[in-house]
Amino acid sequence: MAHAKAEQQQLATGMTLIVMVGLAIAFLLFMAFLNVVKSGNLLSETNLLFATLIFYSGAGALYLGFGVTGIESYVKFASLATWMGLIANTAAVAHRWYDAGHPPFASVYEMLLSFVWTLAVLTLVAEKKYGVKVIGTVTMPVAIVGVVLMQLLRTEVHPLVPALQSTWLHVHVTLAMLAYAACALSFALAAMFLIQDDVKTQTFLAVTSASTLAIYASIVLTRLDKWGGLNLVAWNPDVKAEVFLSRGVRLFVTIPDLGWLMTLTLLVVASPLVFYALARWKKNDSFLTLANRAVFLSILLQVMTLVMFLVRAHDGRYPSLDADGLFPTSLAASPFILSGLVGGAFISLLYLLLLWRRPDLERLLPSTGNLDRITYKTICIAFPLLTLMIASGAYWANQTWGSYWSWDPKETWAAITWLVYALYLHMRITRGWRGRRAAYFAIAGFAVVMFTFFGVTYLLPGLHAYA
Amino acid sequence: MAVEFRSLAHKTWRTIASIQTGVVLLILVVILSAVGTIVLQRPVTEPDEMQSAYSPQALRILDAVGLTDVFHSWWFLGLVLLVSVSIVAASIDRFPNSWRYFSRPYKCPDETFRRALHPQKSLAIADEESGLVAAERALHSLGFKPETVVREDHFAIFAERGRISELAVYIVHASLLLIFFGTIVDGFWGWRGTLNLNERQTSNIVELRDGKTRTLPFAIRCDATGQENYQDGTPKKWWSRLAVVADGRDVEKKEIVVNDPLLYSGVRFYQSSYGPNGKVDKLTLIAAPGNGSGQKQEIGLAVNDTVPLDADTTVRFAQFISDYFVRDGQVYGKSNELENPAAHLVVRSKSAGKDFDVWLPPMDEVADNSKSPYRFQATDLKMGHFTGLQVSHEPGQWGVWSGVVLMGIGLAFVFYVVHVRFWVVPVRDPKTGKYSLWIGGSANRNRDAFEQRFKDLVALVEEELKAVPKSELDIEPKNVPAQRVATVVEN
Repeated sequence: MAHAKAEQQQLATGMTLIVMVGLAIAFLLFMAFLNVVKSGNLLSETNLLFATLIFYSGAGALYLGFGVTGIESYVKFASLATWMGLIANTAAVAHRWYDAGHPPFASVYEMLLSFVWTLAVLTLVAEKKYGVKVIGTVTMPVAIVGVVLMQLLRTEVHPLVPALQSTWLHVHVTLAMLAYAACALSFALAAMFLIQDDVKTQTFLAVTSASTLAIYASIVLTRLDKWGGLNLVAWNPDVKAEVFLSRGVRLFVTIPDLGWLMTLTLLVVASPLVFYALARWKKNDSFLTLANRAVFLSILLQVMTLVMFLVRAHDGRYPSLDADGLFPTSLAASPFILSGLVGGAFISLLYLLLLWRRPDLERLLPSTGNLDRITYKTICIAFPLLTLMIASGAYWANQTWGSYWSWDPKETWAAITWLVYALYLHMRITRGWRGRRAAYFAIAGFAVVMFTFFGVTYLLPGLHAYA
Repeated sequence: MAVEFRSLAHKTWRTIASIQTGVVLLILVVILSAVGTIVLQRPVTEPDEMQSAYSPQALRILDAVGLTDVFHSWWFLGLVLLVSVSIVAASIDRFPNSWRYFSRPYKCPDETFRRALHPQKSLAIADEESGLVAAERALHSLGFKPETVVREDHFAIFAERGRISELAVYIVHASLLLIFFGTIVDGFWGWRGTLNLNERQTSNIVELRDGKTRTLPFAIRCDATGQENYQDGTPKKWWSRLAVVADGRDVEKKEIVVNDPLLYSGVRFYQSSYGPNGKVDKLTLIAAPGNGSGQKQEIGLAVNDTVPLDADTTVRFAQFISDYFVRDGQVYGKSNELENPAAHLVVRSKSAGKDFDVWLPPMDEVADNSKSPYRFQATDLKMGHFTGLQVSHEPGQWGVWSGVVLMGIGLAFVFYVVHVRFWVVPVRDPKTGKYSLWIGGSANRNRDAFEQRFKDLVALVEEELKAVPKSELDIEPKNVPAQRVATVVEN
């Protein structure tokens, strides 16, 4: 009886979800229609991106619905929506390419465009070829966030500075995007392996909290002004570029009080980790309940911080410590902080999904053996791509700066990433590492990838100022 | 004693060749490289920047340990060499086994092997011959080239594909060594520097990174240099027309742009910067006699040019200051930017036997513009530009590139070529006297996909077994084995 009731309830939530997704899509279509009427140009890049967003949102909602309810028919519609979104996305990429006259890899905006495209392709491949249906639950929200970020960032074609006018650059960046997308996929698969391998939910609590904590800690440590403001790069809306005081030195503006909010969120984000530590130390599980509540609270605060950041950094003029007068800033000037904030909220949400729906997830995911193998195969794809990425980058550097290797931080970290994955392969092939150890290794590898991609640009100075 | 020594040597060798050693060394490389990206590095960071970032004691310690130039320190080089040694030793240790696999394929499985192998399958057959024919056909239809081996008392069929995959990992390791070799050669014999040339200037002296200079056996002349902009004013292209001058002749000419360098006898010249050199290319003036009578004339001057204005008077362009200021009766330059340009002309009158200092714009403190026999008015000022060239000599880069290509090939073999082997042996049960066909297979990676292939093969053999008509075998039972004997491989 109880079982039947649960089943019914599940179906009911499923229906609600379908209705909500339907309404959302109808609303978006209506908005898009208004937009088309207003601009009069049906196939503009904005509209294509809008279509991409609509379909990816639908797909994301349906995948999420599948993840929550486990109703198989959702997946069919979800992949249909992904296909439609992919078509629109491809058209947007083609449009951009045609407009700019170079492949879309030159700016953060263009790289996001290509990254989202790759992610959608890989999602479909993972689903059709390997049967990992639930993967869309993770990748599609990421794609949606990517498209939303693109709407906020600059969209006009930006001319290439001389050093970037090389085919090798396009090869290099394409390979980097493919390699990083493959690494991201291997990470998601390894995480799924750990879920399937009965790793305790509280361990996921610790890891997800630590990741969000790391994001907020790096923002607060590098950008908190001593009077509680938040330092952001100034943005010149006329030339759509960051403001430089001198070569390589950016002008920072200070948004008052936002730093305090960030610090408060940092403390709340740290609290689940503190409760987790207490639970481990005192061996008292009631602290874990507190920790879960703290995660929930932290999500609310994170969303609030994100909204405040969006509202205040989107547009506005703020004073600077380094120069007199007020200077404008824009979200486009701080893409990394923005993605950090969005990513932090997303990680915490994923943890809540796991906390509430773990049995359903375990039912839907492939077996541990399969996940382990697919993770390995994904890394087998990622590793040659990483190799070729480094090689093409070295060749390009040799053409541009006269040196194929200059040990700049980005290069060095790319090499470190390569070495970490090389170690993974050696441990797996010669020492027979399987299962959890291999999964932890894959996750560590992706952490290094993330540091190479975001951390190096954000924290360490170097030649790769363009990306 | 000798035994002990041998066992010690053996132990040492095992340690060096072990995977643990390799892993520990790689982890060390990872950690030290990471440290090298966090600690500010010389010579990329300017000395004063280093001093403001670290306290003097900390800087002294960092310098002494070599942490301020990790990637050029002797211990990092030593570590890379140790990694190389570890790779070589591990390869030597494991290579003979793989080589045996590669050069002498195991074609005729014995009973122990047959019992242990997975996957395997036994099918009932009427006689040896029908089983062998069916297996051969099935393997052929899967695109294999089956080979029949004859041992003293029985036949076996062996088929394989992708044998190179057994050696692929050595290709990758060799390519890595080749890359290390190339970079080390460059580290010792390569050099990098800069060469800044004004338009029409020739030079053969390259300023190296460590402050020393290097004289090239040939010279480079910059004929022209320039910049093209996008409509919004951001630079689109920098170019320089360069000529290589050797023994007083132009031996090569090329217009270089960013990403397209000039290569001459192993030395590469890259366009790296461009800008005004603060010097005048040409100053155009209108000169009018001071007494108001006589013709105005237009003259063009470069710095140090002297031009006659009339039979008695000459004018020399003595000095140009791009950003001037006056203090205590002296004119000084502030910067190389073209902010407040000033030109110093010296007008010489032979009859008066006197020089007049004329400054444009007029400066009463220092100039005697009003006394000069001529009045000047500047109409045009063309500034000179310099091109900044990166110069590099990297004799080891061919090792690096061939290593990269080799690594690509090796990785393709490692990840995408699978060594697949199939064996088929007809076995006679000594008790019942009945025949069965033993089929076994092995793959060196991707074993789950291989199991499916194995099942496909077994299904095909079963099909062929049904399809082989008894009559066909009855007609020529003797000929087929006779042919086979010709392909005997002694194992």
